[in-house]
Amino acid sequence: MKIVDSTPISPAAARITAAAVLVLLLLLPLFIRNIYWIDLGVTVLIWASLATAWNISGGFAGGLSLGHAAFFGVGAYTSTLLFLRLGITPWIGIFVGAVLAGLLGALLGVITFRLKGPFFVLATLAFGIVIHIINVNWRGLTRGAAGLLLPFRGGPQNMLFLNLWAYWYLALGLLVLTVGISAAIERSRLGYYLVALREDEDAARSLGVRVVRSKVVAAATSAALAACVGSVYAAFIQYIDPDSTTQFELSVQIALVAIVGGMGTTFGPVLGAAIVIPLGEILRARVGGGAALVVYGLLLMVIVLAAPNGAIAGVRLLVLRFRRLIQSRGATDA
Amino acid sequence: MQLVLQIIANGLLIGGLYALLAVGLTLIFGVLRVVNFAHAEFMMLGMYGAYWLWALYGLDPYLSVFLVTPVIFLLGVAVDRLIVRRSIGKPDVTVVFATLGLSIFLQNAALTLWRADIRSVSTFATGSVFVVGGVRLSVAMTVSFAVALLFALALWIFLTRTMYGKGIQAVAQNRRAAALMGIDVKRAYMITYSVAVAAAGAMGVLVAPIFTIFPRVGQTQIVTIFVIVVLGGLGSVPGAVIAALLVGIIRSGAGFLFGTAWGELAYFAVFLLVLIVRPQGLFGRRGAEVYGG
Amino acid sequence: MLDVQNVTVDFVGLRAVDHASFTVEQGQIVGLIGPNGAGKTTLFNVVSGMIRPTSGSVLFEGKDLSRLGPADRNRLGIGRTFQVVKPFGGMTVLDNVVVGALTRGQSRSDARETARATLDRLRLGRFENTVARSLPLALRKRLEVARALATGPKLLLLDEIMGGLNPTEVNETLALIQELNSEGLTFLVIEHNMSAIMRIAEKVLVLNQGALLTEGPPAVITRDPQVISVYLGEPIEST
Ligand SMILES: Nc1ncnc2c1ncn2[C@@H]1O[C@H](COP(=O)(O)OP(=O)(O)OP(=O)(O)O)[C@@H](O)[C@H]1O
Ligand SMILES: [Mg+2]
Repeated sequence: MKIVDSTPISPAAARITAAAVLVLLLLLPLFIRNIYWIDLGVTVLIWASLATAWNISGGFAGGLSLGHAAFFGVGAYTSTLLFLRLGITPWIGIFVGAVLAGLLGALLGVITFRLKGPFFVLATLAFGIVIHIINVNWRGLTRGAAGLLLPFRGGPQNMLFLNLWAYWYLALGLLVLTVGISAAIERSRLGYYLVALREDEDAARSLGVRVVRSKVVAAATSAALAACVGSVYAAFIQYIDPDSTTQFELSVQIALVAIVGGMGTTFGPVLGAAIVIPLGEILRARVGGGAALVVYGLLLMVIVLAAPNGAIAGVRLLVLRFRRLIQSRGATDA
Repeated sequence: MQLVLQIIANGLLIGGLYALLAVGLTLIFGVLRVVNFAHAEFMMLGMYGAYWLWALYGLDPYLSVFLVTPVIFLLGVAVDRLIVRRSIGKPDVTVVFATLGLSIFLQNAALTLWRADIRSVSTFATGSVFVVGGVRLSVAMTVSFAVALLFALALWIFLTRTMYGKGIQAVAQNRRAAALMGIDVKRAYMITYSVAVAAAGAMGVLVAPIFTIFPRVGQTQIVTIFVIVVLGGLGSVPGAVIAALLVGIIRSGAGFLFGTAWGELAYFAVFLLVLIVRPQGLFGRRGAEVYGG
Repeated sequence: MLDVQNVTVDFVGLRAVDHASFTVEQGQIVGLIGPNGAGKTTLFNVVSGMIRPTSGSVLFEGKDLSRLGPADRNRLGIGRTFQVVKPFGGMTVLDNVVVGALTRGQSRSDARETARATLDRLRLGRFENTVARSLPLALRKRLEVARALATGPKLLLLDEIMGGLNPTEVNETLALIQELNSEGLTFLVIEHNMSAIMRIAEKVLVLNQGALLTEGPPAVITRDPQVISVYLGEPIEST
């Protein structure tokens, strides 16, 4: 076998790129007027955060969850119900939802940490379905399939805005938070442990890595962040029902976005959202919802079979090629 | 007492049909170590096959089953070549999401081609019932059950009496040893996958006169099939049959006992519990859950 | 230091370890030999906590380990390598070793330094950016040792790290073990390479069909008729 060196893109370069992209996103309102595009932009940001949240347990720790819609739903319903029933602002509700989902995620982590491969996947799937069934049938709390409508009351202090751009900045703030946490975890002690556990659990344990603790912290963080995204989503759409929050298809799409972009990396899920969501929107508008999902299915198959490291790996390759090209130019010039 | 008998009879009929689906799924796992998330889509395709042959040519599903099943077998061969085989031995993400992608693809291809309309097939048996010892049985269900039994028997003979079947069993026991014994492992994979999805297609044809037909019908059933194969022990064929009958009875009983929604919940909670405390299933042999070993 | 008491391990239809008892004293290099399938690796798995014995117990520095998992045993000072190597394939060689250093509570920059020093010691330094999966087997075996060493163990369990090495490499490995031993590290070493183990071990344990056949200094073990009959056909030299 050929010895392969990993030539990392330098952290400085990655940081500069991320900062440039962020500045661009902050200034975007200066260039775009069309409501349709703003709306799509907010949706992309929301999906980027959600996939980033999934990636913390799914990508770093390798726990391929097909139940993450449950946490998203817990966030959406907690902040919305607290607001509707008790008049508590979603700015507080979002944290309550995060704590609840975090606890739920920790619980799921504790009971599933031993399961491997498809057994873990099926357990998370069953968990997601249990939450969905509760959501649909506990009408006294959630109003079931009728859903919950957020009345426009109060404005900014209740996370409700008239100007769409406010949601853009809200979603962008959330993305900075989730990506920041994800990047911090990746570089932390915990990040090393999670990847070690994913690569070989026995070896990691023999080196002193505590399995339950690491996996549970990852699962709880991932769930709590997904719940935050749920709260922001509810404030943005102002109507939630089981189909749009806790459905199995949603769990699949969360994983799909992260995988297409590149799981196990900080920016992969963000790139995934930037590719998958607009693609889906365009297809939905041009050829219909079924066709959009046909393409999702194809994309998923092609990515996992032909490029399991996702789109971000392609970007990395391009950057390295480009750098080599520049270096060789520099060499001939000198 | 009459009610209990009725519940059991209904449960056994529906469970028998589920068994045809579950045996294939568990077989694919046992031999290829792949969870075929697209399994129920082949049932859906079988249902549409039955529907179109009936709607366009007036062919009865009990006849068209012998046409549709081989076609789905060939589809299985193609899917194995293009997708499933390429995912074997790859990381979990590939193994899980390749067939999940296929499921999304097939479901929505059907939606695009045939729209979301709900369709149904009626046969000579539709709507009629007969009474045995006070228990009312649907004729359609009973005939489908009988034909499903026939297919199950054929499958069993294939697995236990033919050379291919024995090869497949050897691969399920131990891939490497089977390869050393000169068994063509890749061919065993192909045959297993194709036979299993053909059985799912056959089941689809047989339930076409009973269930309504729409593109997402597979989606509504796949989780039930997962529950069955996990309860029976992923990879265990007899386990899948017993669990299918059991789940059939529980489902037909749960409706009476607590209303469908909460019955459904109880049943997923049990599924989750079994995965956690007894991942090898209620009847499976220990060690099956040591995935990839 | 290590006290294995009456350990038995039963697998389905098979007794892999049969009432084995032995001790390893602080500062010793102890060899563990026995034919294929004798239960050596299984014994390592028991000591490191990867599997629970059917009966019997393991004491480390007087402390009963029964209730501790592999991670906690490692934190007490038991390091091990795997006969079937288990690198973190997608990580770089350096990061593989960093994981070991991190669990000792070192900061990330300290852990990197420890890892680099450890890699240099095993002459893996120039591979620090290599993706572990792509290393040749001999180097992956060395990586196993580096990773375990980085956890700063008191007792190191080595499972056949010399298989497939040429005589020069074997000599280098033996020298390293002796050097680490002189720094206070205790070793329990499984090895099929008899001449190698006989050169460094102070005491050799012979396992056969799960049971401890005999133990003693290399010079005695190589002349023991029981041992010779177990290894019938395999020459034992002690040069
Ligand atoms: N997890 C397991 N389940 C069942 N049997 C096992 C398991 N692990 C090991 N065995 C069996 O236990 C016996 C002892 O195996 P072990 O690996 O400990 O031997 P060993 O002395 O290390 O052999 P070698 O020199 O070949 O490495 C063997 O017969 C092996 O097949
Ligand atoms: Mg061994």
